[in-house]
Amino acid sequence: MKAMVRALAVMIALAVWHPGAAHAQVRAKAEVTCVSAGEKLHYDCIFTLANARSGEPISGVTLSVGADMPSMPGMHNAPPVKATEQPAKGVYTARLVLEMHGDWAVRLDLSGAVRDRVIAVLRFEDDQVTSIKP
Amino acid sequence: MDPYLVSVLSNTGVISFVALSAYLLLLTGEVSFGQQAFFAIGAYAAGIATAMWGWPLALALVWSAAAGAGCAALIGIPTLRLHGVYFAIATLAFAEMVRILFELLRYRVEIDGQLVGPDGTDGFRDIRYIFDNNIEEFEFLVLIYAVLAIVLLGFMLLERSRLGVMFRMIGGDATLASLQGIAVARYKVLAAGIAGGLAAVGGGLYAHLTTYVEPRIFDVMLGVHTLAYGLIGGLGTALGPLLGVAIDIGLLESVRIFAGYRMIIFGGLVALLLIVRPRGLLDERAVHKIGQLLRRATRGTASMHDSTGAEGRTKGGLQ
Repeated sequence: MKAMVRALAVMIALAVWHPGAAHAQVRAKAEVTCVSAGEKLHYDCIFTLANARSGEPISGVTLSVGADMPSMPGMHNAPPVKATEQPAKGVYTARLVLEMHGDWAVRLDLSGAVRDRVIAVLRFEDDQVTSIKP
Repeated sequence: MDPYLVSVLSNTGVISFVALSAYLLLLTGEVSFGQQAFFAIGAYAAGIATAMWGWPLALALVWSAAAGAGCAALIGIPTLRLHGVYFAIATLAFAEMVRILFELLRYRVEIDGQLVGPDGTDGFRDIRYIFDNNIEEFEFLVLIYAVLAIVLLGFMLLERSRLGVMFRMIGGDATLASLQGIAVARYKVLAAGIAGGLAAVGGGLYAHLTTYVEPRIFDVMLGVHTLAYGLIGGLGTALGPLLGVAIDIGLLESVRIFAGYRMIIFGGLVALLLIVRPRGLLDERAVHKIGQLLRRATRGTASMHDSTGAEGRTKGGLQ
């Protein structure tokens, strides 16, 4: 019982602790377009990154692209791949290899000059990809 | 550490909370297909607290645990009068009701010129606490496992306490427990409340890990899996459901050859284990045997040390 009280005290201490006020980070937004790469469940995707506030393109960041199935959290996912930056500002490309057709939450992890995560939900079918929640 | 490994371990950690939640109810003899509802309540409650109200994460987690535990206790009062399949169906119905309520929930506020908050079926984005506070993915992984360690410590204490014994007695035979003077209904509601709180903490961590939640994440598939984790891993110890999660998310995830067939393999594994080991891999008998082996090994080491010490003393005496 004493140990439980001690654990509760630790939780309360954690509850009042704040790691510091949130500072204004650059928020990213992304346009995602994917097309079938001609091979089953392989898709070529283009990501256009921009600052969500100013609309300026985001270049020079490391972009890692992964995907999860929202209907099966943690159970079906595509391991992240590194996107290649294109000459056009804010444009990156990557090939996604999925496990099955259906709705996937494409997860864009930006690191380097800007650290952020953008989620785009797309429906991947055999011949076409449609954006559900851009 | 490899970011993908961090992501798999983080997922394993957060899903462990909801697996432990279903396990606690299994201990009291109840099969719940609805623990994902409290996972959802926790995810939305903690997400709203940090992203919209600007609360610190720890306080948001405490709030989500309270919301999950409160809702579970409230729903437990009428449903725990039911037994077996009736209770299972009631929990499933409740979970679907919660999911649909989140599909209808629209509560958004403008933060830094952007609308943030739950937006019905479009989900709840921008739960950006870890980015706004520069928390690295690995640091968040450590946080997940620190909270999980506290929960496991709680389970260890529970298993050794009078309350834990009563939970297992109720799970073994509720009528017999009642005849022994145990207030079965009260303890079942207490177990439901603790289980709801646990699932909600997992949900809160999940929302901050992924930064995005939507109602369909919390559908029946998650409920079936969380129940299966306990049944695969075993009901003899709280480590059982964690073993179940590790087998599903950790092992099957690392062996990518299964890819889209993982669910079929997982389903087959559940069916097979229910026939061969109905109370899972780490059932009460297995836990007892492991305990005996550990005790023997400890005793063996201790006696070896004793004899070495005695020999040393004898040699010392001869010199």
